[in-house]
Amino acid sequence: MSEVKLIITGPPGAGKTTAIAAISETPPVRTDTRTTDDLSSVKEETTVAMDFGEITLGDGQKVFLYGTPGQKRFEFMWKILVEGGLGLIILLDCSRPEPLDDLNMYLENFSDFIEKTGVVVGITRTGGANPPEMGAFYECLESTGRTFPMFEVDIREREDVALLIDALISTLEFSH
Amino acid sequence: MTQYKFSEKSEAFCQEIFAQMLSSSDAIYGILISTVDGHDVAKNFRKDMPASKLSAMMSSILALGETIAAEAQQQQCRYVIVENSDGYILTLKLKDRLVLSVIATTRVNLGMLHSVSRNAAEKLAAHIR
Repeated sequence: MSEVKLIITGPPGAGKTTAIAAISETPPVRTDTRTTDDLSSVKEETTVAMDFGEITLGDGQKVFLYGTPGQKRFEFMWKILVEGGLGLIILLDCSRPEPLDDLNMYLENFSDFIEKTGVVVGITRTGGANPPEMGAFYECLESTGRTFPMFEVDIREREDVALLIDALISTLEFSH
Repeated sequence: MTQYKFSEKSEAFCQEIFAQMLSSSDAIYGILISTVDGHDVAKNFRKDMPASKLSAMMSSILALGETIAAEAQQQQCRYVIVENSDGYILTLKLKDRLVLSVIATTRVNLGMLHSVSRNAAEKLAAHIR
C-alpha cells in the first residue's frame, strides 16, 4: 500500500474538519459554508461537500484523508467519498443529545463500506454533563455484532488524530 | 428545525421572477433557491423533482466549485454548469447565504440560460434581504 484513502465521518460539529486541519501536511481543502439552520447556534460554518488533507507515514506511505459532511441530507456525498476508501474513522461528539444514536446511524449508513474495511471510533467532548461511559459505546457496537478500536480523543490535538489513524492503519494491515 | 424562510412578500417576488424566467424559454423547467448549507427555500418546478435532495447537491457542487477555483488560483467562482445528455443545470450564488439553480433541457441556448439566470439573480439579490 503506497497510498491509502481514509474517510472521516460523524455528526456535524464532531470535529472532522478540525481533525484533518490538525494533522494534514498540506493546507486542508475545505468546503465550509455558512450555517442557516439550528446548527448556527453551535457553529457558524459547516462542511457541505468534503474536507481533504494528506500525511506521509514513516515508511513513505501517503495517507489521503477525506472528511464527509455530517448531516444526513448530504448522504449522497458519503457514497461518493467512500469509493476507493480503505478505512473509516467515526467521530462521535458526547456533547450532542444522543451520541449512541449517532453511532448507530453512522454504522447503519456506512454498513456496506464497513463490511469490507476497517473502522476506528473516536469519542470527543467527553467533559460535559453525563456523557455516556465508554462501556456504553462498546455495548452499542457489540449489539450490532461488531468490535472496533475506540478511543477518547481531543480532536484538536495532532497526536490524538495520529492515534486514530495509526490504529486504523494497524487494523487494515492486520486484516489483509 | 429552524430553517431560513422567505417572508410572504419575498416569496411572492421570487415566484414572479421564476414565472418570468419560465416564460422566457420553455426549455427551462426547474428553478430552485436553496441555502448555501443545502436547504430548499423556494422553487418552481414543471417536473416532479426532489427539491430537498437537489438543494443539498447544489450546495455541495457550488462549494466544490468555489474550492476548486481557489485551489487553481482563479479567485471567485461565478457559477457552476453541469452539462448532461438531456440538459443543463446552472448554479450560482445569490448573496452570501443563498444559491440559485436553473434546470433546462438541451433546447436552451447555453448563453441564453446564463443570461436569464444572471439577470434573475441580480433582481432577486436586490430584493431579498
